[in-house]
Amino acid sequence: MKKFLTAIFAMASASCALAQETSTSPLEISGSVDTYFKYDFAKKPNIATSFASDHNSVSLGMIDLVLKKKTGKASFVGELSFGPRGQEQSLINGSDGTSSFHIQNLYVNYDFTDQFSMTAGYMGTFIGYEVISPVGNFNYSTSYLFTNGPFQNAGIKATYKFSDKVSLMAGLFNDWNVYTATRGVSSIGGQLMVSPVEGWTAYLNVLSGAGGGGYGTIADLTTAYQITDKFKLGLNAANYDINDDAGGYAGAALYPQYAFTDAVALGLRGEYFKYKNVAGIEGEKYTSVTLTANIKSGGLTFIPEMRLDHSGTKPFAKENGMAAPNAGQFSLAAVYAF
Amino acid sequence: MKYTFAAILAIFMLKLSAQEKHFPKDENGKFIYYKVVDSQVLAKAILLERAKNFVSTVNKKSMSLITSTDTSVLAKGKLIIDKTILVAGHPSGELNYNFVFEVKDGKYRYWLTDFEYIPYQRDRYGNFVATTTIGTPLEKSADRLNAGSWKDIQASAYLKVAKFGDTFKKYLATDKKTAEPTKKETISTKKW
Repeated sequence: MKKFLTAIFAMASASCALAQETSTSPLEISGSVDTYFKYDFAKKPNIATSFASDHNSVSLGMIDLVLKKKTGKASFVGELSFGPRGQEQSLINGSDGTSSFHIQNLYVNYDFTDQFSMTAGYMGTFIGYEVISPVGNFNYSTSYLFTNGPFQNAGIKATYKFSDKVSLMAGLFNDWNVYTATRGVSSIGGQLMVSPVEGWTAYLNVLSGAGGGGYGTIADLTTAYQITDKFKLGLNAANYDINDDAGGYAGAALYPQYAFTDAVALGLRGEYFKYKNVAGIEGEKYTSVTLTANIKSGGLTFIPEMRLDHSGTKPFAKENGMAAPNAGQFSLAAVYAF
Repeated sequence: MKYTFAAILAIFMLKLSAQEKHFPKDENGKFIYYKVVDSQVLAKAILLERAKNFVSTVNKKSMSLITSTDTSVLAKGKLIIDKTILVAGHPSGELNYNFVFEVKDGKYRYWLTDFEYIPYQRDRYGNFVATTTIGTPLEKSADRLNAGSWKDIQASAYLKVAKFGDTFKKYLATDKKTAEPTKKETISTKKW
């Protein structure tokens, strides 16, 4: 660890010195650390979405370290995560007992012009509203849409920016969440970004090919509108169909957020989610409401959160082990971004 | 050991002196960076032309010209504010501003005002991007929880604006046309 830090500081120093001579950007270092306490009202882990999984425990999220550098038109990003959230809970090879590479992002980018760029490597997915890094989410727990969608896509993509209001991305990708393709470069994806008015951005995403559960196509709308300086509204809607009626999901989540002050904001996440029917068997439906506060002081954010989930098929458990249609939890997380 | 201590002390003093600098306010209660410069050597028309070039050519990616007359230039622009961790760092936000330049025979003045800060946040690809399109006026007082970090942002903004002002002043004082191309020296290994 000592050698690793020494190497980073040496690289940063050298980069700074070089930057003064060649007018390249210095090495950027950023990241985050998060920890949480969760109490499930059934006194056992009950809601099966990603992260914040431990009951009645002060547990770890992850430490996330991001390096970025740009020299002329070329740049790279490398993001490494250490801890449950960034390893076995999000990376597919972390849970099999072998070592995980801990990589969240590792890609190179080249800006051919101000409008056109190409990126290759392993990247955070372009699908969906929520992300793995707790810094990028308002809520600490995650939605069913996030948990069931892709986390990362390795591949190569080209982005053309028509203006600040419209851009288009198209790319070829491996199957979801893997460093090495198991079924070849098997997916094609695209993203149309439009910003019709100031403060409103919408992403229309499509990814078709090898994914979770087989070959299929996911269509996704992710949008956020800063309506006033206090009020922001976000929406995520997605439909995933696996070929040959082999499943998939559909759902939507709404994210209204209100900032009372610069330091205190309150947000709600209301979600409807349904797994597709497979061979005549009805897929489970979920509704979920999450009330979250963000209390910020400098780089630190406290996130108290209350979450209630419901499903008619009783996938949850009561304290006595009996099946239950409802589940609830309280959590308090602390996230520090630097 | 004593050199290490001296270096730490120097960094600490530098940080303190950086924190002491801050924007004065104008008659409307807004932060302003205001300078009047004597320029007896250069003609009014040359200064105006250079000011326009500075906005439209040198800083075309970060500034945009709003209007210009035969004595003034009005533009808006943005500066990226950095957050430094030891020797490295990352962008923490952007500072939008209005820029005014006025010239008359023998002197000119310029000022930057209407500062608005938009914080950056790391996106899913590890890049820092604006979290909102609505800026916070830089002179606004922060609540107690964020007072420290807001002061740091104000101090960083001042340093960045002062650096911008110096660059502008130097640009106006420099005659680009008379700059001779530097002759590259070659070393002969035949004679010695």
